[in-house]
Amino acid sequence: MTVVAKSSLIGKRIPKMDAPEKAAGKTRYVQDINLPGQLIGKILRTDRVHARIVSIDTAAAKALPGVYAVLTAADIPKRGLGVNKDNPPLKGDKVRTIRDEIAAVAAETEEIALEALKLIKVVYEDLPILADPRQSTQPGAPVIQDAKPDNIAMTFDYAHGDVAQGEKESDVVVESEFYLHYVTHCCMGVSGIIADFEPTSGNLTLYSNTQVPFLHKREFSEVLGMDPGRIRIIQPPIGGGFGSKLDIYPFEPIAVYLAKAARRPVKLVFTREEEFLASPTRQPALCRLRSGAKKDGTLTFRAVDILLDNGGYTSWGATIPFVMMQTFSSLYRVPHCLFHTKAVYSNNPYAGSFRGYGNLQATFTVEQHMDMLAEKLGLDPLAIRMKNAQESGEVTGQGMVFTSCGFKECLTTAASRSDFARKFTDYAQQQSKPGNKKRGIGLAAMIHVGGGAKIYPSDGCGTILKMDDFGHVTIMTGASEIGQGSETVLAQLVCEELGLPLDAVSVVNNDTEVTPWDVGVHASRTTFIAGNSAIGAARKAKDKILNAAAKVTNMTADQLEMRGGFVVRAADGEMVMPLPKLLRSLHFSDKAELVMTTHYYEPSSVHQDKKFMGNVSATYAWAAQICEIEVDTDTGIVTLEKVTAAHDVGRVLNRMGLEGQIEGGIVMGQGYALTEDLMVRQGKVLNPGFRDYKLVTAPEIPEMDISFIESMDGEGPQGAKGVGEAPAICMAAAIANAIHNATGVRLTRLPFSPENVYRALVTAKGGVVE
Amino acid sequence: MVERYLAPTTLDEALKALAAGDATIVAGGTDVMPQSQAGRFKLGRTLVNIRRVAGLQGGAKEGDEIRLGALTTISQLREDAFIAKTLPVLAEAADHFASVQIRNMGTLGGNIGNASPAGDTLVPLLVLDAVVELRSAKGMRRLRLDEFFTGPGKTKRTPDELITNIFVPAPKPGFVARFAKFGTRPALDISAVSVGIAGIVKDGKISNVRVAYGAVAPTPVRGRAAEAALEGKTLDAATLAAAAKAAQGEVKPISDRRATAWYRREMIHNLVKKVLADVAHG
Amino acid sequence: MSLTVEIRFTLNGSPTRAAVPPGLTALAMLRDIVGLTGTKYGCGEGECGACTILVDGLSVNSCLMFAVECDGRAITTVEGLAADPANDRLRDAFVEEGGVQCGFCTPGMIVQSKYLLSQHPHPSHEQIRRGLEGNLCRCTGYKKIIEAVAKAAEGTP
Repeated sequence: MTVVAKSSLIGKRIPKMDAPEKAAGKTRYVQDINLPGQLIGKILRTDRVHARIVSIDTAAAKALPGVYAVLTAADIPKRGLGVNKDNPPLKGDKVRTIRDEIAAVAAETEEIALEALKLIKVVYEDLPILADPRQSTQPGAPVIQDAKPDNIAMTFDYAHGDVAQGEKESDVVVESEFYLHYVTHCCMGVSGIIADFEPTSGNLTLYSNTQVPFLHKREFSEVLGMDPGRIRIIQPPIGGGFGSKLDIYPFEPIAVYLAKAARRPVKLVFTREEEFLASPTRQPALCRLRSGAKKDGTLTFRAVDILLDNGGYTSWGATIPFVMMQTFSSLYRVPHCLFHTKAVYSNNPYAGSFRGYGNLQATFTVEQHMDMLAEKLGLDPLAIRMKNAQESGEVTGQGMVFTSCGFKECLTTAASRSDFARKFTDYAQQQSKPGNKKRGIGLAAMIHVGGGAKIYPSDGCGTILKMDDFGHVTIMTGASEIGQGSETVLAQLVCEELGLPLDAVSVVNNDTEVTPWDVGVHASRTTFIAGNSAIGAARKAKDKILNAAAKVTNMTADQLEMRGGFVVRAADGEMVMPLPKLLRSLHFSDKAELVMTTHYYEPSSVHQDKKFMGNVSATYAWAAQICEIEVDTDTGIVTLEKVTAAHDVGRVLNRMGLEGQIEGGIVMGQGYALTEDLMVRQGKVLNPGFRDYKLVTAPEIPEMDISFIESMDGEGPQGAKGVGEAPAICMAAAIANAIHNATGVRLTRLPFSPENVYRALVTAKGGVVE
Repeated sequence: MVERYLAPTTLDEALKALAAGDATIVAGGTDVMPQSQAGRFKLGRTLVNIRRVAGLQGGAKEGDEIRLGALTTISQLREDAFIAKTLPVLAEAADHFASVQIRNMGTLGGNIGNASPAGDTLVPLLVLDAVVELRSAKGMRRLRLDEFFTGPGKTKRTPDELITNIFVPAPKPGFVARFAKFGTRPALDISAVSVGIAGIVKDGKISNVRVAYGAVAPTPVRGRAAEAALEGKTLDAATLAAAAKAAQGEVKPISDRRATAWYRREMIHNLVKKVLADVAHG
Repeated sequence: MSLTVEIRFTLNGSPTRAAVPPGLTALAMLRDIVGLTGTKYGCGEGECGACTILVDGLSVNSCLMFAVECDGRAITTVEGLAADPANDRLRDAFVEEGGVQCGFCTPGMIVQSKYLLSQHPHPSHEQIRRGLEGNLCRCTGYKKIIEAVAKAAEGTP
């Protein structure tokens, strides 16, 4: 007899399926694609921060040989983009931010397009600049958007319990103001799109980097006034997303309008400088937080008031309170919570979504307050967190339901692996000793959605699965791939169901004409949602195969199994028949059947009510991260030495892919805390390039010790949760706590650049700073 | 608009090309290219690529001097055994210069001709008493490096001249030189401030002191006050403190996106102290 | 008609000719004239390393290099490395160690790693980190890229 052994890919180190082509330089990103007869599109951006447009003269640009189209606001429908529909692709009446698009050109070459831009003459009448969001709602402040004369773009209010009562019950209260700065995504591949419009058919094909192709189709149809059925979005491999491609931005419809006007395909790709100036940022925030606790460390209340600088237009940045409030209300058990945020217009750049979606900002404040409360109470940082940490079975004030929760294990694992308790005490004692190098260790923890986030009526994902005559499976998934490795995880999950090796599976994920609907790659949702969807389709295929095999073998389907490319006897693994043979017998029989299945998975989460109550995600990810640092008190340079991270991931699916996400997120969080700073002064961006916008480089990365806590989520695919955003979230808070441990100085303003740290140290010692 | 491209292989050809006027000299291109691409610098009518000119590479001892060819790349400065032995401070500065790829392209002459206040080889060359050799079709002249720079990106080089060599006096016994660049990365940062110190240390005393600073003025500058505070002194705690104070007092930096003036002065103070401590403790 | 310069060079082992404007970058020549798109534009100012190529065996930023300077030189791009089985060990190491995520920095990383290993056949971790200081990656946090280079060096004679 031939026995086929059971094998599994779950938990193994699986190389990313598209890596060989990427490493050979064969992968063609949108920047690398050229359509026959294509023109190059370029956008004229304003050099003013706030000004009325008196006139735009495009005559000379239009007359330049090689120019096929020149557009201004007058040439296109007046429809706004974004969350408040307040961002017209081309601005006609006035400009509100330095990145504003005022004209666009399509020309034969980039050189001609740039020359044409120079020929466009714009006359402005400057308006008073509103650069400080604290001034936005003051009487007499310049109005940025006429439709919102109070300059308030959006507000979010949430409450549970009664904070006045909580305050009464408190033995200690701390209150602080935190400032969180601008940073930006810095995807290595700059933004770009190719629009190919065929006027006779009305078909529009877009080669796009979007993270949300199906929502994009709807957005495009609305702004362009087109039948969505005529819009096809092809997503070539994407050079990084991190949330930057979650909204529709002006350059995208501009490319379409240019293609329509020129009747030729138009490729529009940013320069790096343009990418810094004109792609979204992380949402900056000014946050006032008041927290209380009882003598034993039990939290009593939190009151939060946040001011968000919305910039000139409203993109997803304004909606981060949606995620922030979870951390305030539900990271720990807090009986009373009051949360208020206001996003106000200004003449500054506008923010979009960015990995972590407000949670880096919220966690920065909450996790510093946990240390501050602990210090006041004479407790250690771990103890106060353990005292208040959520556990499985908890339903929070906001209605979040924690089914699988490895939070406490994350805390204790990270603490013991980093020798936190001993080092925390030692370093604190060494603060006053001589020497200019001070070491510190800091802890921070987080909660984030791990099972999607139902912010649209559906948070689902569709899968189409087909098998060929040779046993090869193709999965067509709605899920988008931005480098995170979703295609490999989806293939693994399907292999697990169908007992196949990885090379028996291909994944198609890049064409709205082929793939079924998905809400998009965001909210750490793809492994969980698209994974469950792929499993659903695979199980249907398996049913079909085993039922067919049952008929041929005189066994019942439940006596059979799929292993290693064979149908086998479940009891002992004895080979029954090779899978390809079965598939061919189905195909070429009288019934002539192919194995093709579909599945749409919708998670059990709920769309929150108007008070933001409800279980928004099917499950939640937890983590604790501990940072060990050295502060050079002569320079203010903070060196990140080591990060010990423990993440509740539900279950490890692809160990290597998971490590890659955590490591990348840790370093991104390191940059947020220490090196990255998009300097916006009076509405202008001072450092639109990598020379002065400093990403972390290879020599600067810390030692990383990463542990996975497997809480085996009941609804997760093979028990897994989504963790794409989680690793960046704790870093700034943990580093702030470590700096305090090293120096005794509490830093509440990001970034911790050498000068900012040095100033704080000098000030704390009573020195004078200029 | 470039109308002519020349890639001379001899110095004479190169100088002839420059004599014709409106020429842009390119060696590594690491600065000319991005500046011209961004429209911040306009290429001349003739582009003169001097990369192939023979005889301007590497370092060698010539009499009492060490000659460094202007086309010596930063990587060569960093890795050349002769330079490492005779002028380790230059190798050290080269190690803190940009990135591997830029070090492989960028040249010593280019870094000098570029005249950035933050140029990483300039501060060590200043404390080495470097002299720039300029040649044109009309002849040759030598200028002291501390008199060569006239402003950011500006030097006394005339458009028909080429920086051909850099000469520094061969170090005497007891000569020490140190360079420190402020930054959070090993090399890739544009320095917010940098400090170079050189002198002859004998019996615990330092003489022939040279101090220079980067990124605190429109050009890299000598630190005369700090030099005076050190000259002939024993490198004890009081001297270190006095020199650091003098340094802090004499620099007049500006505030820009990389640092405020105040912070730059603080860092000059602390870096001078640190570098001197290194010198004092060998 | 603006000036173009006729240049001849070796590209990935093959003799190549191109007519290039004197102000053009080597990067633009490779991508737009020759049609090899493996070498990426990431910043155009030599800060990110996505455009790294080898010129006579030395790694350089092709965005900072004048295309005319390629004349008479041996140019190697990521496509050239991929075509030579001798480099499979390096490429496999990037794949197997998880050094590739979005992949946009990968061609530059691979070419720079090739150069690094030519300089230091048995590099220390510190040498690898310094050797990659001019190559930005936003996805991986560099750790797996460093490990990939270390793995590629293992077993090298």
